[in-house]
Amino acid sequence: MRDSQTSQERLDLLWVLASSAALIFIVRLISLQVIGGSYYRELAEKNRTQVISQTAPRGRIYAADGEAIATSKPSFSLIYFPGQTKPGPELDRMARSLAGPLRADFEDLRRTITRAATRETPVRLAENLPSKVMLSLSELKAVYPGIDIIVEARRYYPFGAYLSHLVGYIGKMDSRDWARLSGDKTYSMDSRLGKAGLEKMYEKELKGKDGGIYLEVDSRGKLNRVLESRKWSPGADIYLTIDSKAQAAAEEGLKKSVSGKGAVVALDPRTGAVLAFASMPDYDPNMFVMSGSEKEGLAAGEVLPEFNVALQGTYPPGSIFKVITSAAILESGRVDPSERVFCPGWYDAGSRIFKCWEKKGHGNVDFIEGLAKSCDVYYYTMGQRAGALAIEKYERAFGLGRPSGISLPDERSGNVFGPSQRADKKSYWFIGDTLNLAIGQGETLVTPMQAADMIAAVANGGVLHRPYYVDRIVRGDGQVMKRSKPEITGEVRLKDSTWALIREGLHSVVDEGTGRAAQIKGAEVYGKTGTAQNPHGKDHAWFVSYATVNGEPSRVAVAVLVEHGEHGASAAAPIAKAVIEAVLRSDLPGKQARPAQGEPPAPSTAAPAGARAQEAT
Amino acid sequence: MIFTPGASLKKNRMDWVLFIAAMALLAIGTIAILSSVAALPGQTRIVRVQFTAIPLALIAMAAVWSVNYQVYQDQWKFVYGALLVFLAGVLFIGVVDKGARSWYRLPFFSIQPSEFSRVGLILVLANFLDKRMGKIKELRTVLGAFALCVPVFLLLIKQPDFSAILITFPVALIMLFAAGASVFHLSIIVGYAVISALFPVLWTIINLNPELLDNSLVSYFFHLSDSWAGAAVFVAAAAFGFWLLWRLSVQLYANLSGVYFAGAALVLILGFFSGVMVKNQMKDYQQKRLEVFLSPESDPRGAGYNLLQARIAIGSGGILGRGIFSGTQSRLGFVPERHTDFILAVVGEEMGFWGMLLVTGLYALMMRRIMLGARLARDRFGYLVNCGVLGMFLVYFCINFGMLLGLAPVAGVPLPLVSYGGSNLVATMMALGIAESVYARRYALV
Repeated sequence: MRDSQTSQERLDLLWVLASSAALIFIVRLISLQVIGGSYYRELAEKNRTQVISQTAPRGRIYAADGEAIATSKPSFSLIYFPGQTKPGPELDRMARSLAGPLRADFEDLRRTITRAATRETPVRLAENLPSKVMLSLSELKAVYPGIDIIVEARRYYPFGAYLSHLVGYIGKMDSRDWARLSGDKTYSMDSRLGKAGLEKMYEKELKGKDGGIYLEVDSRGKLNRVLESRKWSPGADIYLTIDSKAQAAAEEGLKKSVSGKGAVVALDPRTGAVLAFASMPDYDPNMFVMSGSEKEGLAAGEVLPEFNVALQGTYPPGSIFKVITSAAILESGRVDPSERVFCPGWYDAGSRIFKCWEKKGHGNVDFIEGLAKSCDVYYYTMGQRAGALAIEKYERAFGLGRPSGISLPDERSGNVFGPSQRADKKSYWFIGDTLNLAIGQGETLVTPMQAADMIAAVANGGVLHRPYYVDRIVRGDGQVMKRSKPEITGEVRLKDSTWALIREGLHSVVDEGTGRAAQIKGAEVYGKTGTAQNPHGKDHAWFVSYATVNGEPSRVAVAVLVEHGEHGASAAAPIAKAVIEAVLRSDLPGKQARPAQGEPPAPSTAAPAGARAQEAT
Repeated sequence: MIFTPGASLKKNRMDWVLFIAAMALLAIGTIAILSSVAALPGQTRIVRVQFTAIPLALIAMAAVWSVNYQVYQDQWKFVYGALLVFLAGVLFIGVVDKGARSWYRLPFFSIQPSEFSRVGLILVLANFLDKRMGKIKELRTVLGAFALCVPVFLLLIKQPDFSAILITFPVALIMLFAAGASVFHLSIIVGYAVISALFPVLWTIINLNPELLDNSLVSYFFHLSDSWAGAAVFVAAAAFGFWLLWRLSVQLYANLSGVYFAGAALVLILGFFSGVMVKNQMKDYQQKRLEVFLSPESDPRGAGYNLLQARIAIGSGGILGRGIFSGTQSRLGFVPERHTDFILAVVGEEMGFWGMLLVTGLYALMMRRIMLGARLARDRFGYLVNCGVLGMFLVYFCINFGMLLGLAPVAGVPLPLVSYGGSNLVATMMALGIAESVYARRYALV
């Protein structure tokens, strides 16, 4: 029909319609296939594959002497793989029949299963199944498709609440973890991960690689073939520097103390390796493994004692600060250590009277006696002579006011007290402040970790180490991934004569002064007691000490803090003694370490929470 | 181009480009069907039917091509009568499959008369429009053309086979348009159809977003179809509104006849009533399909599932495809109706973007060649017949691609030559044979 103009035009219009439709489709195809190709490919892969994941056993944690602190145990889990069954009465029926043997709430179970079916993701319905339940569940497995029982490795802490503040615990993923890790393909919604302490810090090393069976299924969820079966590889083992006997002694000592609260930190002064790290109250990390969420693991109204006294508790140092004041006094050049100061039991600061802790007074005391008897008046006098600025200088040199640098979260730095710190705050310094500073009262705050670091520096001649507790990390195949090396964070430079005098003083503290409770046969023990004033109740007791055997370099330095212990001599010193004995047990003559203390506590099974609550009251 | 000097005087009797494009699509389709039926229960029957239908279709095409198409114009009454009898017969002796009585069961295969009725109707309409060439601008021509369609539609509804109507109605419109019918008349019909569809769509949207009901006007609109009073108010308001508009245009000295306003008001009111009818007639699954199209996320496990899986299949093909016979989406049964309506999902998954581009290009080429045939046709009847065949391919193309790519609601419409379906294949090849016949007997030297 060449002759019709209208026809030609209308035909052209039809062609425009056809070609623009084709163009639109091509554009849409480009966006679907060329741009969205990989996205849809992933969806298609997810469609056809179902994964039965098998959690790799977490790396074990060992003490330095080979005692296993955290291991893995096989456990049986019930999982549900959503197939083609859509949420509805059939799933409800399944939930109802599972609720009985699992002793779970029907509504909760139904909700979990329905959510899994909607999202098409496998879910663990129960973990750590007892063998009795397994039998009835394997019957149900035949009735309801998608139900399966798998073997997994479960975290197990053989000694229960032991070293818990260092080891931490693992738990179920919460929404914050999920937001952080959802992009990480090695984690799934029901993964367990380290929530605190070592378990959290070394999550990557401990985790290992999960295995899984990859199945190809058709649209009805029917198994087509096994695509791949991947075996898990276990996580790396961590060997700690912790001495299990010393740790047991420290924990037992704290538990038996008047309040049951406090901290013990023992370091190797040569390297900074942590030998014992106890903080009370503690918790049994097993309870999170058993139940899942943190809330479930605790009895009603109970709060998880996550507060790490050794790192987060800051206390006035009290008389243990006199070690630092001594350094300042002796280095100032204004004090002759043999000069005697008369202590009538009080000190006249002009506008105010400052008391010595001994109301009767100590009489005429020289430096050694002043330190051994912890005479406040001696330190008022000499501290004032050396000057507050000098004391503050050594306060900072001994590492106060900054974190020790141990790789544990949320370490507090305490507080430095002194004229320059006051000046920074644009405030004034009074003479009374100098006197308070000299005896460790006032605004100075230290953590037990800092106290341990300080006394270790005295033991090794002034070197401050970064405390570390991981000796080495060993991969599943036996290869050592990482070995810790001592790291020096600071140095206190004092004259040899000063070190000698301080050590002599500290020795006489234990020998004949306030710290006699820490005497050990066969070892030279040096120490200093302290009482931290507590306006809210009974004073806290401090004891810092170190010991040498046969004149060799000291292998152990300990700081003990007992909350509300009142007297360092009676509350803290025996604990320090027990810890030192445990560390030096092989070098001491006779059977020094008593068996009861030497053995780690038996695995606690029965309601650790309740037991702790009783102790706390 | 027709009078190119020195061109060969020998006239080509066959449009080989059109034929080869059709064969290429058939080949792609057959491969995709073979791949998709791998896991289907009735796979041997499907393969057998496909390979029986291909030679049958080729023979039918050759036969139709060799016959002068003008015979259909001479014998249009016979053609029309035969197609009505063919369609009516299935209601009495046909067998029911998937809820529709639309199959003649023969010893070796079944025949679906609705596929053939479309081709017959194209011939009948072409004759009618050719005869009324002089009065093509009159409304009576348009009404007459639809009067010819109505018996066919009624018989299709009786089966019921709505997708056949969905294809045939636009084909009739395209033929009217190509014949030169008044655009005003056509737009009234299109407007009526659009408004009939718009009311259910709007109600569905409100249904999906109940918070819209807070608006009292929306709420009133939503409940329009519930009572006669509401409907009466709507009718009165529409009439009054258009009357006002008309008065306004008179005031503004716009030279618009009142007929346009009356027509528009009538279309709106009639559209409203048929919209209510459509809404009440719509089956549950159709309502679901509409909802899923408007909001694909509303039901990802139910009705939206099919569409989503088809989209995943196409998308996962990427640029190069996953390889023939290696598509997991289609072979593992995630894509529904994968050998018929959703065959493109298989093509997209296994042959990738290039495969889809090839199918689109071949379809465009086919339409282009049929259009060329229409241009060169010896007479007006031939022109109209080719326009009808073109329209048929265009409608199939748009609806099937649109449905698959999420640009149109799901309708049970296959893609001719690519999808599985014996009757559809034979009927399509017959339509191509007619187009070839028109081309072979054209006015041209090339």
